[in-house]
Amino acid sequence: MDYMKAYDLLGRYKIKALRAAYVNSSKEATDFARENKIVMKLISDKALHKSKSGLVKLNLSTPEQIGSAFAELAKKGEALKPYKILVQEQVGNGTEIIIGGNTDPQFGKLILLGLGGIYVEVFKDVSVRVCPITEYDASEMINGLKSKQIMLQDQRNERIIKNLLLDVSNFLVKNPKITELDLNPIILHDGTYDAVDLRLMEE
Amino acid sequence: MAGKYYNLDSMLKPKSVAIIGASQSPEKVGHIIMQNYFNVGYSGYIYPVNVGGDDTILGRKAYKSVLDIKKPIDLAVIAIPAKFVPQALDECGKAKVKSVVIVSSGFSEVGDTALQEQIVSIAKKYGLPVLGPNCLGVMDLRSRVDTLFLPTFKIDKPSIGGVSFASQSGAVGSAVLDLISHENFGLSKFISYGNAAVIDEADILNYLAHDPDTKVIIFYIEGVKRGKEFIEVAKEATKLKPVIIIKGGITPAGTSAAHSHTASLAGSYAAYEAVFEQFGFIQAKSLDDMLYFAKIFEAQPLTTKKRVAIITNGGGVGVLAADSLYLNGLEMAELSEEAKKSLRKVMPPIVNMSMPMDMAGDADDKRFGAAIDVLSKDENVDALMIISLFQTPGADSRVAATIIKYGTENKKPIVVVSPGGNYAEVHNNMMESSGVPVYPSPEDAAKSLAALVKYSEYRERMGSLDAKDKNNKKSKRDNK
Repeated sequence: MDYMKAYDLLGRYKIKALRAAYVNSSKEATDFARENKIVMKLISDKALHKSKSGLVKLNLSTPEQIGSAFAELAKKGEALKPYKILVQEQVGNGTEIIIGGNTDPQFGKLILLGLGGIYVEVFKDVSVRVCPITEYDASEMINGLKSKQIMLQDQRNERIIKNLLLDVSNFLVKNPKITELDLNPIILHDGTYDAVDLRLMEE
Repeated sequence: MAGKYYNLDSMLKPKSVAIIGASQSPEKVGHIIMQNYFNVGYSGYIYPVNVGGDDTILGRKAYKSVLDIKKPIDLAVIAIPAKFVPQALDECGKAKVKSVVIVSSGFSEVGDTALQEQIVSIAKKYGLPVLGPNCLGVMDLRSRVDTLFLPTFKIDKPSIGGVSFASQSGAVGSAVLDLISHENFGLSKFISYGNAAVIDEADILNYLAHDPDTKVIIFYIEGVKRGKEFIEVAKEATKLKPVIIIKGGITPAGTSAAHSHTASLAGSYAAYEAVFEQFGFIQAKSLDDMLYFAKIFEAQPLTTKKRVAIITNGGGVGVLAADSLYLNGLEMAELSEEAKKSLRKVMPPIVNMSMPMDMAGDADDKRFGAAIDVLSKDENVDALMIISLFQTPGADSRVAATIIKYGTENKKPIVVVSPGGNYAEVHNNMMESSGVPVYPSPEDAAKSLAALVKYSEYRERMGSLDAKDKNNKKSKRDNK
């Protein structure tokens, strides 16, 4: 599903992603940035691992940086048509987590929580539950992780993650046609969170 | 939930049984099944059915078809080659047979889904509860029904008790049955359901959950046929009684949606684990664990508290036991001052009152008895782990008898650790037959105790932990 469409849909379930927009030129990107740091991404169905393929450009703020990143992505995009270029606010440091949703042929909607970024695949430290989940389930999803202590370095994160899990579970149950969801990563910082990348798959 | 799931009463408590494929030839499955009915002392009517036209089989009048019997039939066991099964099943429907077990194989498990579909549609047409195909069928030690085609001398049959065992696999089923009798706990029902063409996991779990003779359920599954229904039934079942589950085939099946991180991680085993965790199952990861867990749940009270007192007649095993408590999320009890005072009166001066309490190698039944007595009453103790090393000079049958006395009437769970050879084994059997769970290592005992506590916590959360199940009701102190 289109990024901006997914952004709007999840927003209706209190799941907020970063402010973002599609841009057609480096001028539009520069206007979006308003001198703040932004991230630029190439969005294409043919590109699955954006960061591994150099399709995500970070720390862009000057018109020069934005201009050269746009040019590079546009060039790479030629091989991945159709593509779009997305710009997004860049968040500072925080703890990265991943929340996923999936559809099991037997048991229906599943929800997954893990530490974010590259670690989720290395350590396979994830907890999974069947939707809908209860508040207890949400707590236990966190408690069941070895990476719990990393996730909860900031105590406020516990509440944030729990609410987010409950919101995502609610979203999955109420949207049966969404077969997969990927909020990866979500950055927890300063007592709040930002979903940096989101993907929804429809049946 | 009635109506949505098959009632298996007529299958497990039949007043009359037709054996389709019964035979005079001793090597035929139908012969063994029928012979077994005599061996176990089944007291209902038995009607052998064989198209071959023998007049009598094993001394009973034989029929060419169930349609010729013309009497009420609660259960028909079909043990004939697969290709003849649809016709036999249809005749069962026409003869108003109340339930059917198909032991024959040669259906979807060998790729013949069409033949299996035929079975399903015939069963649906008559609303007939059909177990199998490709299964061992059922065994109920109380009603003395036994459709297993295993010669009785080859398998030790467990005694009558409160554990019911359902198994997708017949091979796991028969091996575990044999082991259950070895572990000395009592069996209520055994259901081997094979391909689950008609009666599936949800039906069986629902039936056993409401079966008054079943106290503990153990379940070997490879998959479930109806996921949503299985969850619906599980929610109710696990509130009523412990359901120990083991899943075969846990390597992630190839997922069609492997292109996303989420899909590749939340493969199908992850889904099963989530279901087990979320809906109160006790998951066993090996057959040994499955039996060890069943043993403690069958005989010991539930407790949500985890302060365990360890007494031992050998120091080293006590140290291992302390480690195993910690590794399994349990806590070491700290005895109250009153308890310490009472113990000092009965223990020799060399015995230190800290846990694990080493009563020394010459500890006899009196020392064991006094210690268990004091610890059972100490409100700082929620469960007891008794290590009785029968290799020591003081330990003999009197020690076993003392443990039995307390282990069967205590309000707190008691587990015994007794590693050893033949001499220990004799005493372990005595204790286990009386309902005291005995484990070969502290690790196994601690793991089982931890499973008991975890399940008790689940019951408490669900609001279904009866006051009578709870231990230390009056205890003022809680863990932190």
